[in-house]
Amino acid sequence: MTDPTTAANIAAESHGGPVARSLWAEAFRTLSRRPSVIIAAVVVAFFVVVAAFPTLFTRTDPQRCDIRQSKIRPQWFDGPHPFGTDLHGCDLLAQLVHGARPSLLLAAIVVGSSVLIGLVLGSLAGYYLGVIDAVVSRAVEVFLVIPLLLAALLVLSIFRNVDFGDGQLAVLAPPAIVLTMFAWMGYTRYVRASVLETKNLDYVVAARVLGASDLRIIFRHILPNAIAPVTALIPTAVAGIIAAEATLAFLGIGVRPPAISWGIMISNSTDWFTGGYPHLLLFPLACLIATILALVVLGDALRDALDPKLR
Amino acid sequence: MGSYVARRVLQGIFTLFLVFFLLHVLTTLAIQVNGNPALAFFGEKVPTQSQLLEVKKRYNLDDPCFEQLGNPCLRPFVERLNAYLHGDFGTNLRGDQAVTEMVATAAPNTLRLFTVVTITWLIVGMLLGSLAARFRGRLPDHSIRSLSILIDAFPVFVMLLVYKYIVAVPVERWMDDRFGDEAFPTLMFKPSFDPDHPWATVVVPGFLLGVTGSAAFIRLVRASQLENYHADYVRTARAKGLGDARVTVFHIIRNSSIPVVTAIGFVFADALAGAVITEGLMNIYGMGGLLWRAVRESEVSVVAGMVSLLAVVVLVVNVLVDLAYAALDPRIRYD
Repeated sequence: MTDPTTAANIAAESHGGPVARSLWAEAFRTLSRRPSVIIAAVVVAFFVVVAAFPTLFTRTDPQRCDIRQSKIRPQWFDGPHPFGTDLHGCDLLAQLVHGARPSLLLAAIVVGSSVLIGLVLGSLAGYYLGVIDAVVSRAVEVFLVIPLLLAALLVLSIFRNVDFGDGQLAVLAPPAIVLTMFAWMGYTRYVRASVLETKNLDYVVAARVLGASDLRIIFRHILPNAIAPVTALIPTAVAGIIAAEATLAFLGIGVRPPAISWGIMISNSTDWFTGGYPHLLLFPLACLIATILALVVLGDALRDALDPKLR
Repeated sequence: MGSYVARRVLQGIFTLFLVFFLLHVLTTLAIQVNGNPALAFFGEKVPTQSQLLEVKKRYNLDDPCFEQLGNPCLRPFVERLNAYLHGDFGTNLRGDQAVTEMVATAAPNTLRLFTVVTITWLIVGMLLGSLAARFRGRLPDHSIRSLSILIDAFPVFVMLLVYKYIVAVPVERWMDDRFGDEAFPTLMFKPSFDPDHPWATVVVPGFLLGVTGSAAFIRLVRASQLENYHADYVRTARAKGLGDARVTVFHIIRNSSIPVVTAIGFVFADALAGAVITEGLMNIYGMGGLLWRAVRESEVSVVAGMVSLLAVVVLVVNVLVDLAYAALDPRIRYD
């Protein structure tokens, strides 16, 4: 028992070594060992950088189009339009680069606010039960009956004529509000379930006995444990919203021109694929698929790493 | 069991009531913010007061609450519920066709599509899921898992776009050269729906839509079968000396099929939304195609009526799934 290595181990443990490394550090270690995860993370990081700093990748203004230069084929490194130009003579590379931002920003806003709503409503419902729980659970059920895309189709087409202005955020506002309205239910359910599971554990009871307030118990003791399953949902959810945005843009009711998004580019170029200009469709499609695939791979790996039941 | 069924159905009706209320509040808000859609009826012309009133009456938009922002418009809501009860889900903007009528003519094609989708779910989901569970941790398991990730990465929209614009045309041309233009394989790869051959032209779109939903099935089937591989009764069956095939089919697959039933509930809602995209892109004259066209042409009343109707369908499927689950699994408590 007095063996020095054992003592060292005990010391390390009581200093929170392996305990603090628990779920998250363990998850990070497993994740960083998988090549597919690293590639996916690099791809996602690349597109995030593109969305955040578009001017790093192109100096051309995506909105300055010269109709005389329409439908130039990709010139790669030999001309001013590496990926060629589209129907209206706009530089395709510039459009691709500037089109990343609306998709990613929208997805970040929607998933961020849905998770926030889910955390608040889920923990309130799970912690207090009673009337709050009845109302929240019923609301979840009601919103789940209308599939996300159908709801978006309905709401965006009835509010089509409402003008939110032309700013970057204003263009994103309608789809962001609608998608958030119909995307919070999953997180609420997950958080509620794990709060229910956690709230009667010994350490939570101990905190309550010590006189901790409800808020402190929820934020310091319950939520940190409830947050892992929700985190695992996030990459896949972001991918889903990016796909939904592309679909809505294709229908002309998502992010709308003159704003640029991959969905709009895809929608504008479908007819030209068989007409001899396949690059117009292939470039935005490749960007969309690469982003979604990378996020799905990350989400799948994260689900594995954070769900101890699957090990 | 009887009281459970009654309670679940009543609960479903209450949820439906709330769903209708939610949709009503949203459309009312849109009218209050956008201005009365009765004006859209006249297009460019400026109507007289009495003409406007007449049109408002015809579309039940004459209540003054539609001018007051934030008013939930309870009286029109009651009227609308009453109309729904009598099977009236509104008409198109010209007023010459009821939404229910349009749905009735379109429903057969959607049913065809969903027949193909369901068969795809069952075959792809059950087969691949069972294979993955059986060869857990080995090559088939890993490749099936990569496949399901790949499926997740191709949303219906992208899958159909790639199919319609990149794959279908050359394949159809090739089939045409080999088999002639009336042969089944040629029709199958037609890039858009053909009402003269409703089954042949729906197979591939239905299969693609089914594949996008099957990733969830694969994972679920695999997980629930893995649980059963180590169950006591499976060990008992093996100890009795039953053959491997018999144990797999009658003990493992059969018992792990129950949770899979519940997946139908949530995958169905997604598939319905997917059907809108599928039917819209492939020009299938079905319920989803109607909705797609209505959105493109800003036929708001048709969109609202269709979404309400589809919400009823989703809810009915959910209740049926719950009841089936209770009936299949005797361990479910009915209280």
